Amino acid sequence: MNQWLDERLHISRLNDKFLRKAFPVHHSFFLGEITLFSLIILIITGIVLALSYEPSNSLVVNSFDPGTADKPNMLPAAYHSVLKLNAMPFGDMLRRVHHWMANIMVAAAVIHMMRIYFTGAFKKPREINWWIGMLLLIFAALTAVTGYILPYDNYSYNTVKVVYGIAASIPWIGTWLAQAAFAGNFPGDGIIPRIYGYHIMLLPGILLALTGAHMLIMIKQKHTQPQYAKRIAYKKIVGVPLLTQQTPIMLMLTLLFAGIVLLFAAFIPVHPSEFFGPPSTTPINNIKPDWYLLWIFGALAIIPSFEFNIFGGIIGSEFTGAILLPTVVLGAMFAVPMLDRSKDNNYYAENPTNHPVRLAIGTAFMALLIVMSVAGYKPDLISANVLTTANANTVLWILIFVVPAVTYFATIGIVRGIRALREADERDSLAHSAAADD
Amino acid sequence: MTRYRKQDPEITRRRFINAAMGTTATVGIVSLVGVLGTANPVFRLTRDKMPPVEGDVLVHASASKEGEVIKVSELSEQLIRAWPMGKDKEGNNLIRKGDPNNVLALYRFPKGQIVAPTNLDATVDGEIVAYSDICTHAGCSVSDDDQQEGQMKCPCHSGQYDPKRGCVVVGGPPPRPLAQLPIKQDGDKLVVAGFFLENPYPFTESEWEARKEAVKAQLA
Ligand code: FES
Repeated sequence: MNQWLDERLHISRLNDKFLRKAFPVHHSFFLGEITLFSLIILIITGIVLALSYEPSNSLVVNSFDPGTADKPNMLPAAYHSVLKLNAMPFGDMLRRVHHWMANIMVAAAVIHMMRIYFTGAFKKPREINWWIGMLLLIFAALTAVTGYILPYDNYSYNTVKVVYGIAASIPWIGTWLAQAAFAGNFPGDGIIPRIYGYHIMLLPGILLALTGAHMLIMIKQKHTQPQYAKRIAYKKIVGVPLLTQQTPIMLMLTLLFAGIVLLFAAFIPVHPSEFFGPPSTTPINNIKPDWYLLWIFGALAIIPSFEFNIFGGIIGSEFTGAILLPTVVLGAMFAVPMLDRSKDNNYYAENPTNHPVRLAIGTAFMALLIVMSVAGYKPDLISANVLTTANANTVLWILIFVVPAVTYFATIGIVRGIRALREADERDSLAHSAAADD
Repeated sequence: MTRYRKQDPEITRRRFINAAMGTTATVGIVSLVGVLGTANPVFRLTRDKMPPVEGDVLVHASASKEGEVIKVSELSEQLIRAWPMGKDKEGNNLIRKGDPNNVLALYRFPKGQIVAPTNLDATVDGEIVAYSDICTHAGCSVSDDDQQEGQMKCPCHSGQYDPKRGCVVVGGPPPRPLAQLPIKQDGDKLVVAGFFLENPYPFTESEWEARKEAVKAQLA
């Protein structure tokens, strides 16, 4: 059969070119793969979910509790179909797997990016892939947000309201933009079909296209080589081939990891639509976005209120906190390959401790995002009496500046320490080997 | 020495391709903008989407009691959410919840506690006051503050308002106070006495003026 296929599809050429691609042997190189597997599982579970989901927010009679003929119990069709989905065998489980997989995909992507950043793997010639990776991260977050609007329970309803508000807060074009994006004034009759289109067609399409580009470029440029490769065979690609060595490792990893997610899904409920109920005027207390957007939420919670009018456009705290600030943060991340470059092609992963400033900036940046996320818990901190309404903003603002600064200098200090130790070690071994030579 | 440089009368391949690509891109972008235009459906101001207008009766908005007329005796320092209920063209009762931003917050405080900048003429005896319940920040519904009696808190980004002082912002990101709605008492019922005094969420001042005109024109 091999031959039959080969004569038609030239498998052997494919084999030489792609299937024998060398994979570096190091656990940190699995993070990208985990992201990819999550995407695949997300697409599969998503398709299955889509089979039972009804993308419409027009009202239908609740089949579980129809009410009376003159006062029927009406629910949005989307919400109703989620209730039905939950009642299906393993329906709730399917939703949970989809949810946890999305969280893990973003988490794996973020850690993958951290690996790239700290080892300098974004340097020439891999700048383009860093940028594509950034786009992937942004579109993954957008896909996730549109995803948690779809159940159209009260929680989703409040979420989409805020998202609409953020879009509408852009000066000059905001109102038009929000209406175009969400099918009219909130909550228009077509809002769920619109979001459904985004979530199952547009955004996954973009994600797949970007993923394809990301991987093709990676295959073309090869992985960065881990440090040991330099010692074994300088300027040679070291690693195990995709077929037949890497593939079983990948499969094992996928299965293991799918198993973990299934366990998660079995024991940790997510987004209990029944509990939140259909969209209503009652707000939900302590509504929060998923963890990867919490930092923006935190910024909004502590930004003071203000409003300027420039040439008829209104610049308010909402636009500043939810659009301007993330643009600056993401812009800084986009700029990384431009700020820290190398003249020649970079083949080997760099040891983070050899680049203390980059390392320290990275950790300080992470500390900043963490503090901002903590600020997202402001109402909870106040209810727990850790902070008071009066001092919460001040304390959080101070932390936002102090914690990253402390992290920065602490990292530099620790790196100095590590290097001093290492040098002492080297002197030591030099002295000893010199002694042994005598 | 003559150096003959070939003067090609026809355009070069590269020029042709560039021009062709340029044209394609322009046509593409123009048509995309056209498509985007249709993505934004027209807004039709129907009666159920109108903001509260004079003469509307206030009814409960909470799911359990939705549509029941609010009695003055029910009010307290605890927020009560209300919809304005008007009439449709045939004169039947119609709750204006087609626009969820129409939801209102009602309070009753002991006399003398409600002070400026609240518009006291727009309250009932300086005791009962009505506001838009939609946070001016990103449009969440505002609740009672569970920490401080008689204050309001927006659950979304912890905006805080003081309903005894015209719902001024006392904390968090909201840019403006909640808009106050003039009300009057009619027997045991509460009736809307006019338009919101300021522009409620999501309107800017000029949009709000335009909306008021549109409503007046349609009802006339
Ligand atoms: S929507 Fe109320 S504080 Fe943001």
